[in-house]
Amino acid sequence: MAQAKESGEDDIILKLENVHMYFGRVAALAGVDLEVKKGEIHSIIGPNGAGKTVMMNCINGLYKPQRGSIYYKGRQINDLKPHQRAKLGISRTFQKIELFGGMTVLDNIRLGRHIHLKTGILSGSIYVGKTKKEELKTRKFIEEEIIDLLEIESIRDKTVHMLPYGLQKRVELGRALALNPELLLLDEPLAGLNLEEVEDMARFILDINEEERWKVTCILVEHDMGVVMDISNRVLVLNFGNKIMDGTPEEVQHNPDVIKAYLGEEDLYATRR
Amino acid sequence: MSGVWLPCGDYHQTYSEDQGWWQTTFIKTKMILLLAIMFLGIPLLAPEYWVGVANMVGYTAMGALGVQLLIGYTGLITLGHAAFIAVGAYTSTLLVLRFPWPEFIVHWGLSYPISIIVAGIFAGFWSVLFGLPSAKVKGFYLILTTMAAQFITVDFILTQYVSRIGGRGQAFSLPPGTIHVGPWVIDSDRKIYYVMAVLLTLMVIVMANLLRSKPGRAWVAIRDNDIAAEALGINIVWYKLLAFFVAGFFGGLAGAFWISNTAALSPEHFPWFWSLWLVGVILIGGVGSIHGTIFGSLFMVVVMELLQWAVIPLSEYYPKLLIDFAYIKDSAFGLAICAFLIYEPNGLAYRWWQVKNYFNLWPFSY
Repeated sequence: MAQAKESGEDDIILKLENVHMYFGRVAALAGVDLEVKKGEIHSIIGPNGAGKTVMMNCINGLYKPQRGSIYYKGRQINDLKPHQRAKLGISRTFQKIELFGGMTVLDNIRLGRHIHLKTGILSGSIYVGKTKKEELKTRKFIEEEIIDLLEIESIRDKTVHMLPYGLQKRVELGRALALNPELLLLDEPLAGLNLEEVEDMARFILDINEEERWKVTCILVEHDMGVVMDISNRVLVLNFGNKIMDGTPEEVQHNPDVIKAYLGEEDLYATRR
Repeated sequence: MSGVWLPCGDYHQTYSEDQGWWQTTFIKTKMILLLAIMFLGIPLLAPEYWVGVANMVGYTAMGALGVQLLIGYTGLITLGHAAFIAVGAYTSTLLVLRFPWPEFIVHWGLSYPISIIVAGIFAGFWSVLFGLPSAKVKGFYLILTTMAAQFITVDFILTQYVSRIGGRGQAFSLPPGTIHVGPWVIDSDRKIYYVMAVLLTLMVIVMANLLRSKPGRAWVAIRDNDIAAEALGINIVWYKLLAFFVAGFFGGLAGAFWISNTAALSPEHFPWFWSLWLVGVILIGGVGSIHGTIFGSLFMVVVMELLQWAVIPLSEYYPKLLIDFAYIKDSAFGLAICAFLIYEPNGLAYRWWQVKNYFNLWPFSY
């Protein structure tokens, strides 16, 4: 296990080393490196099919890379299943909303607390006593920390699949937050939202990244360059599974390779506003 | 909270109140009335014949609860639940008839109650065994593996080996008076009814409790979206097996209850058709709803019973009807399923929900 070799590696929460992921003979990731520092918002950008979501899935454990290593807080996590990685504090949202459609908003967020609950089938079937106390504690946490933060008080008892898209995205963020993660993977949290919702969502991401209560490190995959350049600390640019560059937003905006591969000559990234 | 009849005047001040079960006085009155009818009204006032019918409803509901848990809440389609009911019935029978109980347990009439619990646990583990493929397969493929449970358990192990224990041939006879619960000998429909009512009530409470705590939410999450569930820290395989265990446990209880209601136990009580029937019950009652399970059982048993009443007078003019009644019953089952899938795919529970909603707001339109 590669424990912190040099000083300063302590702040690195996630490290990918030479990660390869093939589907048949298509290289979705061809030797990508990434270092995410604690407390940062690290964005991943690139054209469609660049391997951004594949990278998220590798970090989260849904895909197992054929080569390369993934370290989380200095510990190699290649062989851990997604649910084991969730217990370590890695949470995520999905590009295409993956909520539990038949459950209410509250239940969806309650489910995010899963790893923090201890109820088994015996105490659960009796309910009175231990489980009830635990459920009430969960409810208090959800109401005060998450529903209040994301301003979804009015929809807490609604069934999720009846909600408009923007609110569903917000609920999904709430569910991921309920896990109390240290590393949050956000896969296109702004896709399909209107301008106001984009502003809200960007605000929420900054809140959970900066507020003393949360201090969550975020990895953000997003196409809205205005937001990405505004809120990221660092940006990784991918193209066809290869890393083009990794740097601050300013460096990325002026890198000729990046402009050629993705951003384009004009000031497209300035915004869609 | 107290003294409020309609939900619109019901303001909660604590999370505990907000998450409570019976929130308004109206609902409380309704539920207490329902329990009173169930525990006093039916056994004391109904004719013996209808108490017997109620026992069938209860037995069906107990079996269907497990199916509901697997199909309705965890999304694991099962077509072999009768196997676990059979395992429960045989475990309980063998324990009652052949286990060398200490004298005081027999004396206090505890052997049957203990055997019910053991039957549940054993059937639970048996169910987990056949649930193991669910770690790898989903949907249609799982149907086949659960059908394997049915054929291996009932048609092979029980028929060929277990039912021949003691050289009795195919059936274990359970003469009236074999089954004791404490000081009571369970020998009439009314006494059987009490066993059923207590067991069913406990099972419904347990299931409802599980569904509002950690395991139940995990099951529903697996049903709705297994990838997201895993990403949020749910060990999918473990919770699927847990669902199989609890469903098998319920099946085992149902089977153990059944032996109080029959004079002889044979594998023919648990045909594959019974597994299918239980799935029909939850389809008609409403998939993913506990009271739907009860509605479905009521509907299926009572309608079949009424059908019998319709056929008997007709058979005077057309005697073959009576001989063919088994087939008429099956076709009615098929027709009912078709009708429900077309006209009310969400089942009776959804209709009930609509009616309730209407009266929640009544007399205003919104």
